[in-house]
Amino acid sequence: MPVTVAFSEVTFGYGGDPVLSAVDLTLSAGEFVVLAGPNGSGKSTLLRLCAGLLVPESGVVRVLDGSPREGAIRRRLGYVPQGLRAPGIVPVSVREVVGAGLVPARGLFRPLRDTDWTRVNGVLEAVGMSELAAECLFELSGGMQQRAMLARALVGEPEVILLDEPTTGIDQRFRPVIVDELRRRADRGATVVVVTHDPEDFHHVVDRIVVMGEGNLRELAHDEFHTAARMQ
Amino acid sequence: MRSILFSDFAVRAYIAASAVGLTAPAIGTFLVQRRLSLIGDGVGHLAFAGVALGLLFHLTPLWGALLVALAGVVGLERLRASGRLSGDLSMALVFYFGVSLGAVVLSGLNRFDASAIGILFGSVFTVSSSDLAVMLALCAVVLVGVVVVYKELLAVSLDEETAQAAGLPVEALNMLTVALTALLVVAGMRAVGLLLIAALLVVPVASGSRIAHSFRASMLTAMALGVASAVIGLMAALVQGRIAPGGSIVLTALAFFGLSMALGRRAFRRHPGRLAR
Repeated sequence: MPVTVAFSEVTFGYGGDPVLSAVDLTLSAGEFVVLAGPNGSGKSTLLRLCAGLLVPESGVVRVLDGSPREGAIRRRLGYVPQGLRAPGIVPVSVREVVGAGLVPARGLFRPLRDTDWTRVNGVLEAVGMSELAAECLFELSGGMQQRAMLARALVGEPEVILLDEPTTGIDQRFRPVIVDELRRRADRGATVVVVTHDPEDFHHVVDRIVVMGEGNLRELAHDEFHTAARMQ
Repeated sequence: MRSILFSDFAVRAYIAASAVGLTAPAIGTFLVQRRLSLIGDGVGHLAFAGVALGLLFHLTPLWGALLVALAGVVGLERLRASGRLSGDLSMALVFYFGVSLGAVVLSGLNRFDASAIGILFGSVFTVSSSDLAVMLALCAVVLVGVVVVYKELLAVSLDEETAQAAGLPVEALNMLTVALTALLVVAGMRAVGLLLIAALLVVPVASGSRIAHSFRASMLTAMALGVASAVIGLMAALVQGRIAPGGSIVLTALAFFGLSMALGRRAFRRHPGRLAR
């Protein structure tokens, strides 16, 4: 499968404190990857570098054969930061939030079409939120808001999906729905990268497990991961 | 009574105030969502300095206000985006700079008179046909701008970081938002005054947000309430004869806000899907 994400000797830190030290990582299309590790180990930083929101101090990040800071590349990514919640002043419906995920794909100054709204309805069904499409997002629970944010990231059929703690706050009943949908995306050729403190949610679907710590990466075998997940 | 309500000057005033009442909440909805509700105040005070500088350099007040307001908000947005000043501190500094510069220049020119009061609180009944044409043109530019980039502005107002990660030109869109705000403030200078135009950017949006279920419905409701506030407020001023129309328009908008608080979103629960998209 073609390489979609390539970190080469990437070093990054905040205010002189190194977080990543000469990190190498290669991910391919169709891979479902979990990034695990303790707080402050650089998981979210790695995801933000991948999304082009941070620039490495040294080394190179390539995504989809280009720089993740290029607009044309960014439009092919789906990204949900940790703890994203709806701003709670002007009401925004669930359908509007998910529709916003199609804005980059549709292009500047072009209104969304009926086919786009059909895609919105489809992804809402996939995350189990069809009946909440017209509801005001900030009046829903944190878990429901998180599912809507995931739907927004997925609606544009991104080739690289970057999710920071995607199951946090989501009811246990709905977690398998989200995880299975992500697996389907990977099976269709997307690279799925998930940062999580709950690896147990993903152990049955994941292809690779990368553990971060002290600025470096270490790949876990599946049996090691299952043991670690059960111990969490 | 009827002849006053439908006289030529009253009709021009209705059209001018309604245009501003319709347009202000359209751009104001994005400002409120991004917690920039007070930016209209800052721009209004910059425009006051612009009017004074226009008089000093023999420009028409409108052009002076437009130039200074546009330059000011672009600078303000750059300061905010660079993180060198927090949003509310930069606005406060601009607020004080604008009003003090305007007061100093106008008093130095011996023009700190009724016309200055008209700039601050509006003088919609003295709007000429040419004034009206300029106001309508400015409002049309703002409305067209909002319609053309509606979906992009909505995506940015939901979350800047995600919008940036998705490849949207966030900085340019933010600049466009404040530039459209500056145009609207200048358009509303004669209708409700520079001190009160900010209220029309915010108050109808606050009302719409209390009763609607979606962003689009909030905006459309706010625009309708903006027009209703303009017409009812003007009628009250015409009937009473002495009260300032700018004040009566904003007080009407605030009355609608009180009503929306009393009704709440649940009052409109039966039709959540009607304006949801």
